[in-house]
Amino acid sequence: MRNSLRCLIVCVLLLTGAGAQYQQAMPGYEYQFPRDHFSHPDYRTEWWYYTGNLKANDGRRFGFELTFFRQGVNRKPLQNVDWGVQDLYLAHFAVSDIGRQKFYYTERVNRAGPGIAGISRQQGRVWNGNWQAEWVNDGQQLQAIGKDFGLQLQLKSNKPPVIHGQNGVSQKGEGIGHASHYISFTRLITSGHIEIEGKSYEVKGTSWMDHEFSTESLAANEVGWDWLSIQLGDDTELMLYRLRRTDGSVDRYSSGTYIDGQGRGTHLSARDFSMLPLGETWRSTKSQARYPIAWRVNVPSIGLELQIHAAMQNQELAGKTRLSTSYWEGAIDVSGTRAHKPIAGDGYLEMTGYDKPLDFSGP
Amino acid sequence: MTRLLLFFRLMVRPLFREPIRTATTVLAVALGVAVVIAIELAGDAAAGSFRSSVETLAGDSEIEVTATGGVPDDLVGKLATLPYPIRVRPRIEGFAVVTQTGESVPVIGLDLIAEAGDRMSRDWKLPDFADGSERGADLSSGVWVGRRLASKAGDQIKLQINDDTREYKVRGVLPSSAGDNAVLMDIAEAQQELSRTGRVDRILIRVPDQPSLEIWQQRLRQVLPDGVQVRPQGSGTEENRRMMAAFRWNLRILSYVALVVGAFLIYNTISVSVVRRRPEIGILRALGASRREVLAAFLCESILFGVVGALLALPLGRAMAVGAVNLLGTTVNSLYVSSQPGSINLNWRIIGLALMVGIGVAVLSAISPAREAAQVSPVEAMARGRREYILRVEKWRDLWIAVGLGIAGVAAAKIPAIDGKPLFGYLSAILFIGASALAMPALVEALLAAGTRVLTALLGVEALLASRSLKGSLRRTAVLVGALSTAVAMMTSVGIMVGSFRQTVVVWMNSQLPADIYLRPVGNPAIDRHPTISPDLADQIEKLPGVEAVDRFRSYDINYQNMPATLASAETETARYYHSSGFLSGKPDREVVAALRGGDNAIVSEPFANKHHVKAGDTLTLSLGERKVSFHVLDVFYDYASERGFVILDRDTMLKYLPDPAPTNLAVYLKPRANLAAVRREIERVSANRAVLIFSNRDIRAEAVRIFDQTFAITYALEAIAIIVAVMGVAGALLALVIDRRRELGLLRFLGAATAQIRKMILVEAGVLGLLANLAGLLLGFVLSLVLIYVINKQSFGWTIQFHWPVAVLLAALTIVYVATVLAGLYPARIATRLIPIEVVHEE
Amino acid sequence: MEMKPESRSSATLTAGMPVVSFQAVSKDYLADGQKVRALDNLSLGIEEGEFVALVGRSGCGKSTLLNLAGAMDFPTSGRVLLDGTPTSSLNDSGLTCIRREKVGFIFQSFQLLPTLSAIENVELPLLLAGSPTGRTAAREMLGWVELAGCEDRMPHQLSGGQMQRVAIARALVHSPRVLLADEPTGNLDTTSGDMILNLLRRIATEHKTTTLMATHSLEAAAMADTIVRLRDGRVEEVLRR
Repeated sequence: MRNSLRCLIVCVLLLTGAGAQYQQAMPGYEYQFPRDHFSHPDYRTEWWYYTGNLKANDGRRFGFELTFFRQGVNRKPLQNVDWGVQDLYLAHFAVSDIGRQKFYYTERVNRAGPGIAGISRQQGRVWNGNWQAEWVNDGQQLQAIGKDFGLQLQLKSNKPPVIHGQNGVSQKGEGIGHASHYISFTRLITSGHIEIEGKSYEVKGTSWMDHEFSTESLAANEVGWDWLSIQLGDDTELMLYRLRRTDGSVDRYSSGTYIDGQGRGTHLSARDFSMLPLGETWRSTKSQARYPIAWRVNVPSIGLELQIHAAMQNQELAGKTRLSTSYWEGAIDVSGTRAHKPIAGDGYLEMTGYDKPLDFSGP
Repeated sequence: MTRLLLFFRLMVRPLFREPIRTATTVLAVALGVAVVIAIELAGDAAAGSFRSSVETLAGDSEIEVTATGGVPDDLVGKLATLPYPIRVRPRIEGFAVVTQTGESVPVIGLDLIAEAGDRMSRDWKLPDFADGSERGADLSSGVWVGRRLASKAGDQIKLQINDDTREYKVRGVLPSSAGDNAVLMDIAEAQQELSRTGRVDRILIRVPDQPSLEIWQQRLRQVLPDGVQVRPQGSGTEENRRMMAAFRWNLRILSYVALVVGAFLIYNTISVSVVRRRPEIGILRALGASRREVLAAFLCESILFGVVGALLALPLGRAMAVGAVNLLGTTVNSLYVSSQPGSINLNWRIIGLALMVGIGVAVLSAISPAREAAQVSPVEAMARGRREYILRVEKWRDLWIAVGLGIAGVAAAKIPAIDGKPLFGYLSAILFIGASALAMPALVEALLAAGTRVLTALLGVEALLASRSLKGSLRRTAVLVGALSTAVAMMTSVGIMVGSFRQTVVVWMNSQLPADIYLRPVGNPAIDRHPTISPDLADQIEKLPGVEAVDRFRSYDINYQNMPATLASAETETARYYHSSGFLSGKPDREVVAALRGGDNAIVSEPFANKHHVKAGDTLTLSLGERKVSFHVLDVFYDYASERGFVILDRDTMLKYLPDPAPTNLAVYLKPRANLAAVRREIERVSANRAVLIFSNRDIRAEAVRIFDQTFAITYALEAIAIIVAVMGVAGALLALVIDRRRELGLLRFLGAATAQIRKMILVEAGVLGLLANLAGLLLGFVLSLVLIYVINKQSFGWTIQFHWPVAVLLAALTIVYVATVLAGLYPARIATRLIPIEVVHEE
Repeated sequence: MEMKPESRSSATLTAGMPVVSFQAVSKDYLADGQKVRALDNLSLGIEEGEFVALVGRSGCGKSTLLNLAGAMDFPTSGRVLLDGTPTSSLNDSGLTCIRREKVGFIFQSFQLLPTLSAIENVELPLLLAGSPTGRTAAREMLGWVELAGCEDRMPHQLSGGQMQRVAIARALVHSPRVLLADEPTGNLDTTSGDMILNLLRRIATEHKTTTLMATHSLEAAAMADTIVRLRDGRVEEVLRR
């Protein structure tokens, strides 16, 4: 489950009662690559989500997040082919300069327009303005240019894509259709450059990519979630999400996936793991939200006991307008034991719904 | 301190002793300066409005990308995906007519989705896509409007765009920072409503501070096609400003005429006061005042006139500017660029200008009499009597200088323009005015000598006395005639110029408007707005019985060599209906127009040719859409419709590069013997649901003449003010004359003159002044009109105007001036009759 | 010979119609807000062809008397009869008419119009009166004052005496009943002055034109038939030759 709440809000707001015209994510979906790396206009919401931990030659550490959203708003045929709006394209881009404890963040929203944003299988490209992910041979290239920061990265996966959930769907709530189709590259070997305030750093590291599409996923009583991606030193990865309900309890549709060294995924249901805040929090001065930035994760079935700490505190993507929400998404340090042997790694943590109650009222 | 006291006693006090003359002089300065600043203020307001809502809504962009006929949509994508940290904002820019008021307002299409979250859109409360208040938002058929157009969201507003009228829902009211009359809509809808298929009008780009703007422009140019222009944002505004500069310059010069007339009057006032105060000056000199002090005292007096006049001119000028802005707005709209007049701002620059001009003109016109005052020798203190009123007139020397100036004027008229400005043309005009002023004493004397007998025979002894008195104070008379004749000359010359122009246009229209019926979209015409007519309407009309052919005329705003111009296309097949000879080469139209069809050929209008130094046989490279295309210039045609200049292509050639088939005007030719009224009714029927205006040939000519007259309204207003100043001067001067000659007038009563005879004498003097001024003014006006038509107009606008005497207009104008001058004598005459003879004769 | 003004006045009345007659005339002026009495209950009659010299100090009322006699002003009280017509009964145009027909003026400072030639100055009263025969009469008149040949000279080309002769010609050109001369020799040297006085004497004698001359000069007064001495607005004495 990767979802920016912000995107969802927009989605909800712009719905014109056309939800029925979109397909639901249903079990038994047959994945086909490379087709399923690209757009699924029959589903309302879709995103391509890149996060990663990188190190410069001098040891300076960076985290990055580059996300492309597509949000369907209209399925009627367009009168104006170039400028008519069927989908909104949103994108978020953040870099965590962990060495200097500085967080850079920007976002944009566009319509497809005449080539301003979009997803093209022919070109092997997902883009929003001059931010883009492009498939080149069997790898991907990321490019994002912000006002005072940017990146160019080459990503290459040694593992096949993982399909999360069961029977091709990742269930998010009670009821049929409250689910998504969810694909990840969990270990992308990454190299390239990061630019910060006019200086360029050559970087290497590991990235994670999610691609998810759905029409209706969350249920009405869910207020937010906590999501984790962990890349461990033993070439295994773990993805977990925890859905929080209005009453404070954890939803039973929380789940995860464990990926072994060969890239095989094992579905973890809510019963298979625990994911609890350690009590350490950080309070955002911008949104006033208080985020738990240290966690304990236990996955008994594979003997994992992990502690998770934010690599730096302020990695909040603060909403810029009155009603848009803020969320925390940032690089983390992971340490702990596997079968009582020490193990370490890093990853990304996403926490939403901490700043204010969310509006889930549908169209 | 003693100096100040001296100044007060010598200079200021006498002014209060002659309140009427002082008042008229100050008022003349005030009027002259007021006209100058009114034109300046009005010009500022008119020019300021180019930065209308369109630019206000442009936000903080640095570079603009434009192309003739619009920038292709895909270039927006191309720019948006460039690997530079730049912000790309496509825009549709057009205008709509508010059905209710008929006002033309800017329509701006923005990418409201991409603008969401931007500071500008937040400030203006545009929909934010993260804002819950826009729940269920649908971007189509909603507009955001300036507060003058709607009071609240939810209102409906009826707008006519091109030839289509529709109701729009007001989604929000823009704050005043966005201009009060703009209409904003989403780019998708704007593109459709304004029929900009596949193109946007402008792409604004915000670039980082580093590297330089030039480098950014270069980088963008590298990735864009040739025909697309990359310029600093607001270049269009700059170009309009530059184009307007010549016009404003001409207007400014015209406004200084009133000032020149005022200068004559100051000269007169100070001359008279020098003469009258010769004994006092002599006494002062005898008491030890130096020449320089006397000179300074008189200059101070003139500065006083200047300052008081300038201060009075400020409120007066501001009031005049209100009127001028309206007149100017019409001119600017029909000749240059559509604009909304901005506000009139009386700022420090204007105040400074007023003071500078007021003091400047006062001091300049006082220098010569003040120097004369300084020449007064102490001995003259005692020498009273007959010498008192005799002014030194060196009419022969002045006449020779006048001849010299006239020759210089002729020479200056032959020098070409500098930087598009007819500097030497103006110099020539000034030299002629100077020559006329210097020749005036000799001329007046000669005319009076020749005319006295005739006048006496016609009007009796009063005429003899009047003309003798005028001749007796020759210098004063010459100055008055000079002032009034300069105003008359200006009126005459501009009258002849405008009249010739008008006649030329009328003749030209007869050959250029051969069609029987014309159509254009509803709305005030402006040279840079090209609303279109649906192409299917043209097709429908063409099929009507009785219609022989339809010429689809299409025009675009273009930019050539950083100056705006109009690019248009016509259907050359209809050339067979043309029967005019409108080309400079003298070739028959049919031949030239037929050749136009043959490929990338163009014809250009005379103002265009002059402005850009293009002639037949040259190659003209134009940016069309994204391409740069070279055209062969076949010929230059006479055109009086626009100062900006036209380039005309064949319609097929135009469509090859700019494929939008919608015409901006239609010319309908009827079959022989078809019934005009019936066909017109048919056209009205098929265009019933379209907002188009239908003109018969006669209508459109009348309309053209009406626009022409509106265009020149401002010049008439300026002339009127110059005349008023001059007539006021005549009144003031006659009054001075009466007061100076009161002893003589009293004596006449002793000798048996009735009061009616005294009145008649003064009125005859006014009449003779008016007559002389009209004669001299007509003469000078004729010379100046030649300079205006063949030098100044030609150099700054490039029109070939056929000389024509607008006899009726001139006669009417001269009669008005004459009558006004005589009427100006009424008050002085009244004063003259009220003098008590025994008092004035014996006072000494 | 000495007489009380009253009796003198009545004596004149009995002798026939005087050309100019003052009957109990008073004239007040306002000067700086103060009422000044210029003539005080003065009575005087002047007969046809009589050459009268008015003498007295400055401000004794000489000029006022001349102005009243010339129908240039009205008395505050009393009557002024000009050739039998009381001036007070006339309006402005009536005064103008009476002046045109019956009065000629000569001034101390000549008062020629500087823009008109000698002959034009002379014919001016006729022209103003609308008479068509101005030029001939003017030429004759100039001849009579011995200025034939100076017709086209401008005033500034003439000497003082010449100017005053032109002025005399101008004053006589319309054959007035009364000639009023205010210090006619005041601005002239003795020679020119004598010439002017001789002219005035001849006017009275040859033309029978009643002449009223205000003067300071005893020499001038000596030429007159009658000398009227004024003092403070009253007739102090009348000396008849």
